Amino acid sequence: MELKFLASDRVEAFVSYIMQKKTVYAPQRAGKHSVALKKVADPGAVVLDYARTMQSVKKFFLPPRDELLQFNLADQSFAPAEVKPLDAVLLGIHSYDRAAIDRLDYNFSQGHAERNYLTRREGVVWVGVSFEPDEFHFSGSVGIRPHDTEGFDVFLTRARDGYLVEVLTNAGRELTAGFDLPATDQAKPQPGHFHQHIFLPQAKLNEVMGASYNNPVWEETAEKCVGCGSCNIVCPTCYCFNVEENVDIKVSGGTRERIWDGCMLREFTEVAGGEVFRGGLAERQRHRVMRKFKYLSDKTGHPWCVGCGRCTAYCTAGISIVSIVNRCISDYEKHAATAV
Amino acid sequence: MAAKPRVAIFDFTGCEGCELNQLNFENQLLDMLEHVDIVEWREAMDDRPGEYDIAFVEGSLSTPDCIKRINEIRRRAKVLVAVGACAVQGGINGMKNTQPIEEVREEVYGKDKYLFPTLPALPLSAVVKVDVNVRGCPMTQMEFLKVFTALVMGKKPVEPTSAVCVECKLKENECVYEKGMICLGPVTRGGCDAHCPSFGQYCTGCRGMVPEPNLKAMEEILVKHGLSVNEAWKRLHLYNTHELEGLKS
Repeated sequence: MELKFLASDRVEAFVSYIMQKKTVYAPQRAGKHSVALKKVADPGAVVLDYARTMQSVKKFFLPPRDELLQFNLADQSFAPAEVKPLDAVLLGIHSYDRAAIDRLDYNFSQGHAERNYLTRREGVVWVGVSFEPDEFHFSGSVGIRPHDTEGFDVFLTRARDGYLVEVLTNAGRELTAGFDLPATDQAKPQPGHFHQHIFLPQAKLNEVMGASYNNPVWEETAEKCVGCGSCNIVCPTCYCFNVEENVDIKVSGGTRERIWDGCMLREFTEVAGGEVFRGGLAERQRHRVMRKFKYLSDKTGHPWCVGCGRCTAYCTAGISIVSIVNRCISDYEKHAATAV
Repeated sequence: MAAKPRVAIFDFTGCEGCELNQLNFENQLLDMLEHVDIVEWREAMDDRPGEYDIAFVEGSLSTPDCIKRINEIRRRAKVLVAVGACAVQGGINGMKNTQPIEEVREEVYGKDKYLFPTLPALPLSAVVKVDVNVRGCPMTQMEFLKVFTALVMGKKPVEPTSAVCVECKLKENECVYEKGMICLGPVTRGGCDAHCPSFGQYCTGCRGMVPEPNLKAMEEILVKHGLSVNEAWKRLHLYNTHELEGLKS
């Protein structure tokens, strides 16, 4: 792969250039310490060197509130909401967030293909950027490295004084064509080291997690957990939702909306008649972790966690999914050792 | 269409801010009146006794007379809706419940205190069956409209139970704890669209605690962030004294 060079002081010009071709969404400052993915109005506001955004690119394809249809009570008719392809450049995306979208693509195309998500997914040009693992990232443990280019059309690797640019697809060539990116003989630098690790690969985790159903870690974690559901809401591969109907004040019609939901929330586990089928936080925590490292990986072979570290970074109680899984592993190994 | 539902609006001990909020539906009030007959509303009209399909009740119960009145309202109303923090949780008035009742009475009424019998401030649900809660201080307007439409249609309104954190995360609000402030969001019911944290404030807990709150974990969060457990506990009492006293016993 031929490497090109984008000097730091030309990033703004590069963003301006691609903005002429397509709408661009990229990380931008969203508070004192945080960045968020937003539509770019000012090319100078784009931040390529960041740890993580609170919400992943998922929000563009599966918005937190998504109108599904409008209904009319007078004539009992309804019309599905108009959904358009995103048709934009997603710039400055980390490899784990791109990998999360591959997983959601699977979720939403299995069985009855889901129209809204799949329509919005169209027309996206992916421009990735490498990241420096911080104290929460552990994507290396689920096979996703900071320099992975899979799924991207263009990839920027952080180097001295700028970025090494790989143009990987025709869509990438179209996007960058006409912008002067000189060739470079710099080699791709070694990716940064992770500070967090899950001690076993997924192939072995399925068995470990399967044996961890009654591990005391679920009760112990529940003691520290307030059940606020932040871990679900910031997860790039959580896709559970609730459906709500809102009738307008004239009682003539209304909308049906899909709203993000999460398995840590009480309402989510409540069914008709008021029964709560995962009543305690221990059961809910177990379900959340099993969904990432057992249930969906049994089906697909891949963990449904991409190691972004969001659920841990944004947990006010400091509950770490890596610690939970490692605890299951060490208890499993201890048990195996004593059994022999 | 069948006869319009007869609606009555009542107030007990409170600031009447929730009722004022109902009058503030300038764009929706006429549409609302298309669907209901308001038969009793002291804030907006002269009293007229009768039977009601829906009674909206604001304020907490803090005198023997309140208890008599709420029982009477309950007897006449098919659906009773508690509106706002005072009616739902006992609200700010509940703060007096941790102090000796006679001292409180004397502080407020002085030498005339014998004219004013008083009780610990109670939420409506401590005395009568409440069918629906519209939470918040003041009540959340959008939620009131949702409840109103659901009841007009004869449907059971949905009450949000998830923590304020959910709405903060949906809006990508930087966590209040990261700003070094105490926030009651993790144990407080959302449904307010995280209004206060979205405008740079902390959550004061006005919508009441989530079901089965894990207050021990909440204390650990405060300690972890180097914040005062004592101060947080005081703030939690601002709107939740009645429930916290209940948890103690």
